[in-house]
Amino acid sequence: MTLEEIAIKVIEATEMAGMSYMTVGAIAAGTHGIPRSTSDVDLLIDIKSGKGINTIVQNLEPYVRFSPQVVFDTFTWGRRHIGKSKFEPPYGVELFETFDDPFVHSEFSRRYHQFVPLLGRKTWLPTAEDVIVQKLRWGRSKDLDDARDVLAVQGPETLDMVYINHWCTEHGTIGRLQAALDSIPPL
Amino acid sequence: MNSPDPNIHNTPGALKALQDDIYRDKILRARHMTSVERLEQVFSQSAIQFGMMLSGAMYRLNTTDTALGWQEVRRWLTRLDRVHDHGNYTIEKPTES
Repeated sequence: MTLEEIAIKVIEATEMAGMSYMTVGAIAAGTHGIPRSTSDVDLLIDIKSGKGINTIVQNLEPYVRFSPQVVFDTFTWGRRHIGKSKFEPPYGVELFETFDDPFVHSEFSRRYHQFVPLLGRKTWLPTAEDVIVQKLRWGRSKDLDDARDVLAVQGPETLDMVYINHWCTEHGTIGRLQAALDSIPPL
Repeated sequence: MNSPDPNIHNTPGALKALQDDIYRDKILRARHMTSVERLEQVFSQSAIQFGMMLSGAMYRLNTTDTALGWQEVRRWLTRLDRVHDHGNYTIEKPTES
């Protein structure tokens, strides 16, 4: 199965479960920044909606093998369900649960619905500002690169920098934001 | 007058300028695309990347067996996941005191 076929299955499984979601990770970062390859389809799922994540996992059973072990990220203690495609290539599927966090509530409330011809359907995506804030919050090397790329491609002059500065202040990541801005060459 | 050092790695300023040129080109190319075109390019780049990984795995195993190649790619990705996830995830949430 191709990555787009897996993405369609994951989106369909989520919608069939009646759950609100948005596509995150490299797909979202590439939408607003510089596209890069990825091995995963990542979704942030509103656990207060629909029939529950286990229904999504069941819906995907013919295509994706999920680990029975749910893990917590050590930054925010959000829960993550990890799956691998049963077909080749071995793409990953990661389902992140929403949790009680002001920024998560904010980014989810600002998501938008975009038609993607390749997928033949609409998908929910985070705004460019929310990708930047989230990537700076995580702070792994590829996250910092993604944040810088979105800042560079969109341009601070077109972004809601007040919003970005607000959340980076809340998260203590203003230094990362400034470093990302400083590393963008003059265009 | 000295001629420039042919090895750019010996001239940090020139290396930085080259890096900036390459990055600037990537930014400008992305700016000329729509958000949907960029999103769709994630999918096409990923297909190419996995094709290259399969090719590399088959070469390293010295095999023409695609199934063996994919098995090796899965092994690589499992290792990569462990490296990327190290320290970032845990199976237990600490109890609040």
